[in-house]
Amino acid sequence: MFDNFNLNAIWESGGILISIVGYIIVFFALLLLYMIFALMQKVLVSRQRKKLKMQGHRAADSPEINLSGEVTSAISMALHLHFAEVHDFENTILTIKKVQRPYSPWSSKLYGLRQTPRK
Amino acid sequence: MEGIHQFLEFTGFANVTLGHLGMITVGLLFIYLAIAKEYEPLLLVPIGFGILLGNVPFIENVGLQLGIYEEGSVLNYLYFGVTKGIYPPLIFLGIGAMTDFSTLLSNPKLILLGAAAQVGIFITFITALTLGFDINQAASIGIIGGADGPTAIFLSSKLAPELIGAIAIAAYSYMALVPVIQPPIIKLLTNSEERRIKMKPPRAVSKLERIMFPIVGLLLTTFISPGALPLLGMLFFGNLLKESGVTKRLAETANRALIDIVTILLGITVGASTQATTFLTPQSILIFVLGAISFMIATAGGVIFAKVMNLFLKDENKLNPMIGAAGVSAVPDSARVVQHLGLKEDPSNYLLMHAMAPNVAGVIGSAVAAGILMGFLLKVF
Repeated sequence: MFDNFNLNAIWESGGILISIVGYIIVFFALLLLYMIFALMQKVLVSRQRKKLKMQGHRAADSPEINLSGEVTSAISMALHLHFAEVHDFENTILTIKKVQRPYSPWSSKLYGLRQTPRK
Repeated sequence: MEGIHQFLEFTGFANVTLGHLGMITVGLLFIYLAIAKEYEPLLLVPIGFGILLGNVPFIENVGLQLGIYEEGSVLNYLYFGVTKGIYPPLIFLGIGAMTDFSTLLSNPKLILLGAAAQVGIFITFITALTLGFDINQAASIGIIGGADGPTAIFLSSKLAPELIGAIAIAAYSYMALVPVIQPPIIKLLTNSEERRIKMKPPRAVSKLERIMFPIVGLLLTTFISPGALPLLGMLFFGNLLKESGVTKRLAETANRALIDIVTILLGITVGASTQATTFLTPQSILIFVLGAISFMIATAGGVIFAKVMNLFLKDENKLNPMIGAAGVSAVPDSARVVQHLGLKEDPSNYLLMHAMAPNVAGVIGSAVAAGILMGFLLKVF
């Protein structure tokens, strides 16, 4: 299986050059992507700060203007529970209500019962 | 009597070889791993069954048009999508439509881990050259280290179509075996203290950033590496369908029905391409060995680079070096492995979201690497 082992092949075929240049290009492409989006993040934050400052919010001067994903999820969950009216504490007398019904022989309990047999 | 004799000669029993039986055993093993151990069942069930399908023995090349390598057979038509590299971009479309790049955008430096892990591709490329593979074959074998089945199939369909079966099987097998291969390497390269590092929670990402990412990402990566256009084009297109918020139906079709259909076709045909009479060669076994090495180097590359990055980062921004291992792509399995290892060390340390960032960056990185190798090696002039 290893009969064809030939260390010189990497030089003769230019493989070593392709590997080094190829890896550098992959790294460069993703580094560029990183730099663009890191820059975009900074631009968006400074735009947000300006907007908040114009509206007179104190948050404009706070060092961390972005909410973490965890905080956003917690707020979203709380809003969802509020609007969907899902609450932890239920009103326990909700189900017991006195209902007034006018008398009618059709719904009379007395007529509905089986008569006890005469002995 | 002659008819009976001919019928008997046509049966699988008359044509079976040890190779067929060996491959059927491999197919059964894949199905067992998928069902009993739940190792990547969506891949291993179609591939495992495909192996069974491709290794039912019959008389070849007498015009029966049954086997995957016989022109005009149904399986051959379906295999066309593999050999011409049609399925991989469609899979990428679905992956793009289901991938959330938010964690990557919230901490863009994690993109670099996806680049670092691609070292496996290039080291294996050199190793394969020294073992006697020609330069195109070596590049196709190296890409297994990208741990991305569709990318491996796409590149080998362009550079070394004769190795496509072995490369596809190796890539998908190692992707399914991520939970077995990666943990020992991660543990070897990190200590318990490093594995317990808690990372800063990711920030919420604006819709504008999420829409800009596929557009900027496409233009930037494909201008550098146009060879990756079919893969990255579809990946970013799928992601724009998802993030735009106005093409929900298209995004849902891409990330459900379409990707499921293509996965079925790809899995079954790649499995069937392992027909023992064509597939079982010493070369295929060597490809398997090289694929494993490639995968291990890629994992180690990601982890080591995360440790190097930590040397330059402030304490509050330190990375858990385990997430570097997710840079090999294999979405989302390698991120899941990191999450499990993190929870084992500290049950309150959730690393999944952080690991997803290098994981999706790895998908982009391996596609860029494939495009670069095509750019170097495809003979167009």
